[in-house]
Amino acid sequence: MSATTYYFAIVGSADSPLYEADFGVQRTENKHLHQFVVHAALDLVEDALFANTACYLKAVDSYNDWIVSAYVTPSNVRLMLLHEVKSEEAIRSFFVDCHELFVKTLMNPFYDPSTPIQSQAFDTKVHSLAKKYLL
Amino acid sequence: MSTDSPTSAMTQLLSALSLDGKRPIESRQVNSETSNAGWLELPDDSELMEQVFVKLEAVGFRVGRRLAERFAPVNRRLVDTLDIVKFVCKDIWMLLFNRQIDNLKTNHRGIYVLQDNKFKWFLRMSGNSGGAAAARHAQPYIWLPCGIIRGILDSFGVSTVVVAETLGLPQCTFQIKVVSDE
Repeated sequence: MSATTYYFAIVGSADSPLYEADFGVQRTENKHLHQFVVHAALDLVEDALFANTACYLKAVDSYNDWIVSAYVTPSNVRLMLLHEVKSEEAIRSFFVDCHELFVKTLMNPFYDPSTPIQSQAFDTKVHSLAKKYLL
Repeated sequence: MSTDSPTSAMTQLLSALSLDGKRPIESRQVNSETSNAGWLELPDDSELMEQVFVKLEAVGFRVGRRLAERFAPVNRRLVDTLDIVKFVCKDIWMLLFNRQIDNLKTNHRGIYVLQDNKFKWFLRMSGNSGGAAAARHAQPYIWLPCGIIRGILDSFGVSTVVVAETLGLPQCTFQIKVVSDE
């Protein structure tokens, strides 16, 4: 019964959604709830930013038995992960690698930082990172 | 960049920006055989220069945003505006020009003055007609760093207006004014 599900979202600096993905086993009735919980946790991320000057904010919120962890980049882009198991180091490595991927996407002069990331290559790479660190 | 001469670089830049097709830049060029040999007489048209300024500054802004995300320190986040400006003076200037800003002044109320006494792009510039004219000719080269600084500050959430002036090559001064949107 310990089928692990993860929901990953990237929220831009102007609070626009840039990317989202699910990993692991999905119980279909919960997908929309994942999105809701993660985005509701954004306020708590702001609160945590006041207290903490690091980039990786660990767990910012929890809902029943789901935990939401966040990682904030220097330009206020938030990488959020909803997970059930508490594995800080693995999640930190996942976030760091996703941040690098995001920086590479940003270096593309045709990419407008307030628009969703639609590159298939980005999607594939994020999924392979998830397989490496989370699943 | 490999400069054949400031002439060709400037003409290429202005034509690449494809400004105002009605008045082709070529017709305003001074023939290189005249007394201003090797130095392009910039069109005195202030409206044209205004357009060049807007475009260059916008390019710098986009570059600055990407520089900030790429090179901002990962372990500690910069919270203070002063920290961000110091980051620009030290890290960014070192990346772009291989040296740091010489002098940083602030009035602690949102105005920062950055002074570079040997601005890299000005080191090889000189003009036939003397210091003031050369400084005026060098203006467009200073607009790109203005945009870069503004882009970096903006990506940290600080909206600013950046102006630059040069009192004599190779010195230049950038003034950052924090604009609070209230």
